[in-house]
Amino acid sequence: MEQIKITVNGIEMTGNKGETILNIAAKNGVEIPNLCYSPNLKLYGACGLCLIEAEGMPKLMRACSAVANDGMVLSTETPRVKKARKIALELIMSDHEGDCVAPCSLNCPAHTDIQGYLKQIALGNDSEAVKIIKEKISIPASVGRICPHPCESNCRRRLVEEPLSIAFLKAFAADRDLESDNPFKADCEESTGKKVAVIGGGPAGLNAAYYLRLSGHDVTIYDAMPEMGGMLRYGIPEYRLPKNVLRKEVKAIADLGVKMINNTKIGKDISFDEIRNGADAVLVTVGAWKGSSVGCKGEDLEGVVSGIDFLREVNMGNIPDIGKNVAVVGGGNTAMDACRTAVRCGAENVYVIYRRTRAEAPAEDIEIEEAIEEGVQFLFLTNPDEIVGENGKVKEVRLQIMELGEPDASGRRKPVPVEGEFRTIAVDTVISAIGQKYAPAGFEAIGTTDRGTILADKVTCMTNIDGVFAAGDATNRGASIAIDAIAEANTAAKAINAYLLGMPMDFPEPYYSKRNVTAEMLADREKKARAVMPVKAPEYRKNNFESVINGFSEEQAREEAKRCLECGCHDFKDCKLIRYVNDAPVFPERLAGAKHECFKEQKLVTIERDQGKCILCNLCVRTCKENAGKGILGLVGRGFRTVIKPEFDNPETVAGCKDCNMCADLCPTGALKILR
Amino acid sequence: MCQCNCTGPKSDLSPLGSVLKEYGGVSSNLITILQKAQSIYGYLPKDVMYHIAENVGVTPAEVMGVSTFYSQFRLSPIGKYLIMSCQGTACHVNGSERVLNAISEYLGIGNGETTQDGLFTLEEVACLGCCSLAPVIMINGEAYGNLTPDSAVEVIKNIQKEEGK
Amino acid sequence: MRIVIGEGSCGIAAGAGKVHKAIESLMTENESFTLGTTGCIGMCFLEPIVDLYDGETLLRRLVKVKADDAENIVNAAKTGDLSLVDSITISADDEEFLSRQTRIALRHCGLIDPVSLDDYRESDGYEALEKVLKTMTPEEVIEEIKISGLAGRGGAGFPTWFKWNAARQSVSDVKYLICNADEGDPGAFMDRAVIESDPHTLIEGMLIGAYAIGAREMIVYVRAEYPLAITNLEIAIEQAKKANLLGENILGTSFSCDMRIKAGAGAFVCGEETALIESLEGKRGMPRLKPPFPAQKGYMDEPSNINNVETFANVAWIMNNGGAAFAAMGTENSKGTKVFALTGKIRKGGLVEIPMGKTLRDVIYGIGGGIRDDKEFKAVQMGGPSGGCIPKELLDTVIDYKALGATGAIMGSGGMVVMDESTCMVGMAKFFLDFTALESCGKCVHCRIGTRRMQEILTRIVKGEGKEGDIELLEELCEAVKDGALCGLGQTAPNPVLTTIRYFRNEYEAHIKDKKCPAKECVDLLTYSIVAEKCKGCTLCAKKCPAKAISGEVKKAHIIDSDICIRCGQCVNSCRFGAINVE
Repeated sequence: MEQIKITVNGIEMTGNKGETILNIAAKNGVEIPNLCYSPNLKLYGACGLCLIEAEGMPKLMRACSAVANDGMVLSTETPRVKKARKIALELIMSDHEGDCVAPCSLNCPAHTDIQGYLKQIALGNDSEAVKIIKEKISIPASVGRICPHPCESNCRRRLVEEPLSIAFLKAFAADRDLESDNPFKADCEESTGKKVAVIGGGPAGLNAAYYLRLSGHDVTIYDAMPEMGGMLRYGIPEYRLPKNVLRKEVKAIADLGVKMINNTKIGKDISFDEIRNGADAVLVTVGAWKGSSVGCKGEDLEGVVSGIDFLREVNMGNIPDIGKNVAVVGGGNTAMDACRTAVRCGAENVYVIYRRTRAEAPAEDIEIEEAIEEGVQFLFLTNPDEIVGENGKVKEVRLQIMELGEPDASGRRKPVPVEGEFRTIAVDTVISAIGQKYAPAGFEAIGTTDRGTILADKVTCMTNIDGVFAAGDATNRGASIAIDAIAEANTAAKAINAYLLGMPMDFPEPYYSKRNVTAEMLADREKKARAVMPVKAPEYRKNNFESVINGFSEEQAREEAKRCLECGCHDFKDCKLIRYVNDAPVFPERLAGAKHECFKEQKLVTIERDQGKCILCNLCVRTCKENAGKGILGLVGRGFRTVIKPEFDNPETVAGCKDCNMCADLCPTGALKILR
Repeated sequence: MCQCNCTGPKSDLSPLGSVLKEYGGVSSNLITILQKAQSIYGYLPKDVMYHIAENVGVTPAEVMGVSTFYSQFRLSPIGKYLIMSCQGTACHVNGSERVLNAISEYLGIGNGETTQDGLFTLEEVACLGCCSLAPVIMINGEAYGNLTPDSAVEVIKNIQKEEGK
Repeated sequence: MRIVIGEGSCGIAAGAGKVHKAIESLMTENESFTLGTTGCIGMCFLEPIVDLYDGETLLRRLVKVKADDAENIVNAAKTGDLSLVDSITISADDEEFLSRQTRIALRHCGLIDPVSLDDYRESDGYEALEKVLKTMTPEEVIEEIKISGLAGRGGAGFPTWFKWNAARQSVSDVKYLICNADEGDPGAFMDRAVIESDPHTLIEGMLIGAYAIGAREMIVYVRAEYPLAITNLEIAIEQAKKANLLGENILGTSFSCDMRIKAGAGAFVCGEETALIESLEGKRGMPRLKPPFPAQKGYMDEPSNINNVETFANVAWIMNNGGAAFAAMGTENSKGTKVFALTGKIRKGGLVEIPMGKTLRDVIYGIGGGIRDDKEFKAVQMGGPSGGCIPKELLDTVIDYKALGATGAIMGSGGMVVMDESTCMVGMAKFFLDFTALESCGKCVHCRIGTRRMQEILTRIVKGEGKEGDIELLEELCEAVKDGALCGLGQTAPNPVLTTIRYFRNEYEAHIKDKKCPAKECVDLLTYSIVAEKCKGCTLCAKKCPAKAISGEVKKAHIIDSDICIRCGQCVNSCRFGAINVE
């Protein structure tokens, strides 16, 4: 066979005379993007991704069909080729309807592979589930109990009846794994010899330490408190998160070789500079531990405490004297923790003072519900006007009656005082739970935002000091939920790893295809109620700090996990299309327009076809005819409206389809799914 | 044997015999056979297409592919009067869209649809080649030119009158 | 005397059939005159046309003839008193429409009876074929075509001799010669006219081509929408077969060749040669990857040569008169004549054949008589959906492949749609994209989705929903689709958009930024109002208004509620006082 030489992207390669450019390049390890090519099928030339520019040729060529000539100098990366490919991908994506990733996962700040672990739970593989969870969350048993689960708010099953109980399932799997003889333990990379100091052992610090350790770094966590866990240990009450669970998860991290140094406060026990100088990188995850004051007259009286200080005291094992009548100011989760803890500390009348209504309260509704069950009295549409003292001690609170006015910037209706209407309640303690702040003492060298939080780069989490990173409640937007802190810590860990290894620190947001699904589209799904978490009776639980929830039974958990609709694409990890899309990168929104007919159906014996994901590469039609010798699939219609259907769309007449699955094997996207 | 399992009424395949005798058995004649079949049945019934597929030796999926690719083929019966509304350039420049909209509104049917009484089918077509008479519609082969929205509706009304509607 | 009625599709649509019947009904047995038919003379604006001949001499050309005129015509023919038909005789001015043309491809159209082989033979028919078969080698034929400089008239303008030669060089026992008569370009109808009016010219031209490349089988792929063309060609083929002009040992030579017709089924993309081949093979008309080219692997994987109708229509003339005579006409890079279908807002629309090298002004003003209703010329669309518009400033552009190409338009198959000041250029671009998006076969991404997205963007612009950056986005899409589309349909689909942006960017901007349509054509951007001073209160508009948007008392100025107004324009048409203002 006569040999020819060509150059692709500066790489010289040889091939046989008569061979296509794409083939020669592939044999020489250069992948020219393509979506409609298969070496075992006749050439087709639809996708336009293999466009390539040859020196001296005015037109772009399709590498799949263009036969190489000796001496050709080709490039797949000229601006013109890249642009043509980019637009081809944008066009495809603008007409591609599918969920690369399920909405639960997309809306989880840490982008946990929820669908993946639910599947394992459904199959009874808890350890496998934990392995998947721990790709993003190192302390799932803890997080699963306390997470306000944005995943569930976006679970598509809510369009059928109710969302899945995702968070508790996570805790279920993690508990089972922890209790097992051989709990999941990830492998650490070989040591890099790089030292990382993590300041603050809360959810952010623990999580970052875990992943940095897995990457082979030498990690030390410094924490001011006697035990690790931060807010999970000292903020969240025992009845929501038993500390033994957290201890086990912290221990698992320590067992990987993360050093943990407690009772060490920066600026007091050790200086920030000392830590900085002793490490190759520093991550500051100190959280937001300073409670905001009530902001009315009398806030300095004895008996006025911050929610976070109160919860910390109780979590350290001290039951403070709060008297019989307690007012908690605020409508968030900290307020709920405080009021329910106050009940457990023996208070007889616990009030929650909140200036809006229950509907606007940021606290989880279940928390409000359980607080009411435990006897907490909610005074909605009230605001402390003055805390009245007697002998320097709190005696009563005068409340301004409020009403809801016009919506404010957050979209919530703004509470406004009702002129002249007040109410007074007698209290012994006022707990202010209206917000927490970062305390900068000891970190003066680190630049801050206007809001007084640490200023960290959105992409790399790096602060104004080279090699010093920050994440969690102390940074940028301030205090939020644990999973937000964990997500930021994951980003920080990735950035620190890149920083330490001298790799680029740009992490482009990956592009995901998203599908707009309505309740009508899911109308055919069988209804199956959400699993109800068994809880202890209010009369019992209000007198102690035992866990409110009893945990799912195994049967309950397995059945609940099976409710998952598996919204995310089964083919996401192998999808050629999304790989090219993220290589490009693309912005299909600018070409948004009508889409072809999108529907899912199972008319072939073992294949589910998702027309929305079909990009009309026609590989399935061609292989069905050319390789399988069947010709059951065909193109129907013309132009933009073309779709692929089995013959006459008729389930009985496609009985000829056995289960060769050749079509699904060749599909470059997730349009064809083999059902097993 | 035809594998069509459709529950609809079976078509009488005998008129197709002479067509298949002349053109059958050769896959490249598929379009010609479908054209002849359409002129027999007025459209392409499913069982007829299965029969043709078997005869010329292509898969039913391919016949479906061809019959849905070309705009000439219809998969459902048409009305007694086929109104073809020319959308060629000359007609466009001379206001064919308004003529089409007027007819469509008057009859309450869109492109490719048939009136409930089975009298009219409306079809937008590419240039009919009567550019000097633009805008033009053609009803069962007869061209009506230099139309306005009103005069086009008048043409339809006259047919309805003849039909006693 | 002979009465000859032009009964091409256009003439019939205009009522030529009725005229024919009317005259026939007045004829007695052993009538003193004869009644015959001919094809299309190309003066569409004067149809129906009736010619009065004495032998071969044209006595009178009667235009816009109605059935009511039959009596006068018959009497004129009987008595020889031609003054009876003075009122319907063509004007001297209109006669110039023909006299200013140079007809080669259309040389017999409207002059001979399309279905009379005798008529054709009497006009030198099949002489070229006889000369070629008996005195020339295939190579000599190709050489003569090379000398003539004939280029493909279907649009691309590829040298005909080169294609013939490539097919000739391909080694195979079986080769095909295919005629592309799938004239799908909305606004072009010269191929139909040739086949309807002079089918033997096509047969003769094709036979010479078949002889040159070594084909034994010829196929004509005709649009199914051309029933008369198909009928006339079928008749001509039968006649030719009987006369030993088709079949075995043609004219007693060793050359044998058959011919058949395949009717298309309605897909513009089948004008693309590889899609046409797929369609001929009975498949979906989706273009194939090139290479291999049809000259190597075409119909049934055999070497095939495809030319357009007009190209073949020139061949016999070239063989009779010599390639040099053909090449003597035209410009440096474009030889011979070209037929154009002149339509739109033109005073005299029809078929125009002129030598290359004339200017657009020569055609539009010299032959076409300028713009209808004394309006201002704005632009001419050349090459239909694959071509582009050429603005007023470039009216003196010379008609040749290179000069037209430089404007961003193309020669194309010869569609020439004239637009005046009342044509919105954005709307025009949208019209063509509506067409190409609908006609895209759907195979390649760039065309299937790209044309659709362009169409959507144009739609939102004409609806007044255009966004800042839409023009740039359109330009970006256009370049990408040109580069990435698989076949000619997709690669040329952006041309109407690119040229309208190039020459009428201000119109796009007016739609997007000011939400105004300068041509006052985009209904969503119009506001109708009544000028109180002009309104007489006749109430006619209010009665006509289908949306009941007009109100007012009798004899008092009316008003239009623009919230209810559906902008149908009926009020403007009904108002006799010009009181309705549109902006």
